[in-house]
Amino acid sequence: MRIPPGEYFVQGNEACVEGAIMAGARFFAGYPITPSTEIAEGLAQRFNGSDGVFLQMEDEIACISAVIGASWGGVKAMTATSGPGFSLMQEAIGYAAMSETPVVIVNVMRGGPSTGQPTRASQGDVMQTRYGSHGDYQVIALAPASVQEMFDLTVETFNYSEKYRVPAFLLSDAEIGHMRGLLKVPQKVKIVDRKESGIRRQDEAYDVPDDLVRPFPTFGKGHKAMITGMTHTDTWKIEPEDPKVHSELVTRLSEKILRNRKDINKWEVMGKGAKTMIVSYGSSALGAKEVAASDERVGLLRLKSVWPFPEEPVADVARECDRILVCEMNLGQLYFEIKRVALEAGCKKIDLLTKIGGEPPTPSDVRHKLREMGAI
Amino acid sequence: MFCPGCGNGTVMNCFYRAFSELELSLDKYAFVGGIGCSSRIPLYVNSDALHTTHGRAIPFATGLKLAKPKLKVVVFTGDGDLGAIGGNHFINGCRRNVDLTVICINNNIYGMTGGQASITTPHDFQSTTTPFGNKEYPFDLAEIAVAAGANYVARWTTRHVHELTRSMKVALTKKGFTFVEVVSQCPVNFGRRNKMADPSQMLEWFKEISVRRDKTRTAALNHVDLNLAGQVTIGEFVDRNRECFEELIGVERHG
Amino acid sequence: MKPVIDKRLCKACNICVYICPKKCYSRGANISDTGYFTAAVSAHEKCYNHNREGKLICELCNLSCPDQAISWHPETEEEKKK
Repeated sequence: MRIPPGEYFVQGNEACVEGAIMAGARFFAGYPITPSTEIAEGLAQRFNGSDGVFLQMEDEIACISAVIGASWGGVKAMTATSGPGFSLMQEAIGYAAMSETPVVIVNVMRGGPSTGQPTRASQGDVMQTRYGSHGDYQVIALAPASVQEMFDLTVETFNYSEKYRVPAFLLSDAEIGHMRGLLKVPQKVKIVDRKESGIRRQDEAYDVPDDLVRPFPTFGKGHKAMITGMTHTDTWKIEPEDPKVHSELVTRLSEKILRNRKDINKWEVMGKGAKTMIVSYGSSALGAKEVAASDERVGLLRLKSVWPFPEEPVADVARECDRILVCEMNLGQLYFEIKRVALEAGCKKIDLLTKIGGEPPTPSDVRHKLREMGAI
Repeated sequence: MFCPGCGNGTVMNCFYRAFSELELSLDKYAFVGGIGCSSRIPLYVNSDALHTTHGRAIPFATGLKLAKPKLKVVVFTGDGDLGAIGGNHFINGCRRNVDLTVICINNNIYGMTGGQASITTPHDFQSTTTPFGNKEYPFDLAEIAVAAGANYVARWTTRHVHELTRSMKVALTKKGFTFVEVVSQCPVNFGRRNKMADPSQMLEWFKEISVRRDKTRTAALNHVDLNLAGQVTIGEFVDRNRECFEELIGVERHG
Repeated sequence: MKPVIDKRLCKACNICVYICPKKCYSRGANISDTGYFTAAVSAHEKCYNHNREGKLICELCNLSCPDQAISWHPETEEEKKK
């Protein structure tokens, strides 16, 4: 089923398909939407019924609902979409968070708002990934910046969603999704599976272990699981009127992720110690990377995980540098989180380079901004 | 857990009776519901239950069933949950013909939220959002299911417990998307505002307006009376053997 | 067999009173511990299942009862004579 180890020259979206299969995904429900459609088409080829299930559903709401249902059937499940579809999925994403369903959502971001630019990249859904559904909840989101990372980080996204029983997101964009490049497929990758209930005792699903990740009661195994989006107790009693039950549940859902932030954080630093640090992610980091590689005055903190917000690596970098430049393909979203952490850590100057319209910030865009800042 | 006189309990009785007469085992079943009074029925059954979001029970059930084809899945839903917000999933579910049994308890109102008009509230009837009488006309959910491709479609009322039980047995045993609509009484939030506060009055009304249809009669436009206050046709609407989705994609080979 | 109403479950909807073709039930006159004027079995001898053993017939009442409050019990010798 999995692609044989070796080197391939593929599109980012195709690499994502292979990463999903490698991670153990066996269920995909999708709806055609540029620029993510290739992921659906790729999995339609690979999941032929006996190797996995592929469904083209009637709308994105049906897609996200189907993958959540499939996860309760014990199967690793994924959907892929872009802005307009992502907006439709928000209610069910909240349901996945509340019911603690492991599920993977790939968002190949495009120009928004609304129909916007179907074939052009943006990073306009970053805040929506964190706050898109109503209520308080935490999610995990990773941001690939290359074809290789479309493979590697897809595997990681699955692993995180399984490990923490949470909806996890791969935040790609039209550039990364459609660019072609080298994919090196290893012999083995590390796979994490959900902690199943009923291994040691039948009622394990009622436990609340120290890591706050409760054992998963797969359907069809006699657990008589009662899974709901309503406020519920540890033993599945529905108690929406009880302030204490609600407070404990929603707090635990948040803590489950925040407490494990150090395990989830993923980042890469170039030019550590430089007085000017660029903080960026995804496509935006590509131009910045070239600048940092060629100029020792400038370094780059490239975030590979964006939610939960990686406070620690940002604070570390902020403590040592004089100024930070955030590069984003939106009008400023992750900027506010980076600025908050950086100011607290003592860095006084945090600037923002925004570029919307579809083209990632080029090295000359970045140098121009740095000159304006007086950094170079 | 339900109001006094609510038809949901009656439907559950018929379901349990059908289930036990067929000698089925709850261990092999999972239940899925949307949001609404009848969608809560899965939570009262001693089996795996997925209480999902409003209108989306069918796609959730589709994912669950296809991930674990050997698991039997039954959906409990309501008129609004299925036919309004869930309309798109309803018709595509019938078309796709995944092996699901869907029981729609149609009480002609949004009961859980206090009695707002639904897509099956009869014309001119009172509700909290139609204080001057419902200006719209209702859906005929059973006819929609027939047109959309469901393998088995039946409609009864809670006045017809034996026929309902028999249809549920067919729906549970038959492959593909099987749909049973039950016109049911909501005395508190529908009946009371329409001069039928007593559950018995609503049951008598069901008896008066029910008209049996025979299986061979096709639904010509002038036979479909969309105004429930005039008549509601009850009976088995279609019983056919379109291939179910699992057979079409070959997923029965694993899981 | 005779029908018996479980007063802890009955919510006095009186569907049984309405639906029984033999009029075995009547509306309740006494309030139960749960606060309902629970329905009463006023004429168990009119029931189709009176003096019958084994498989029940009719069952319109217990299938209709939303609270599953109706169950069947054997009659006493006295009751059988009715």
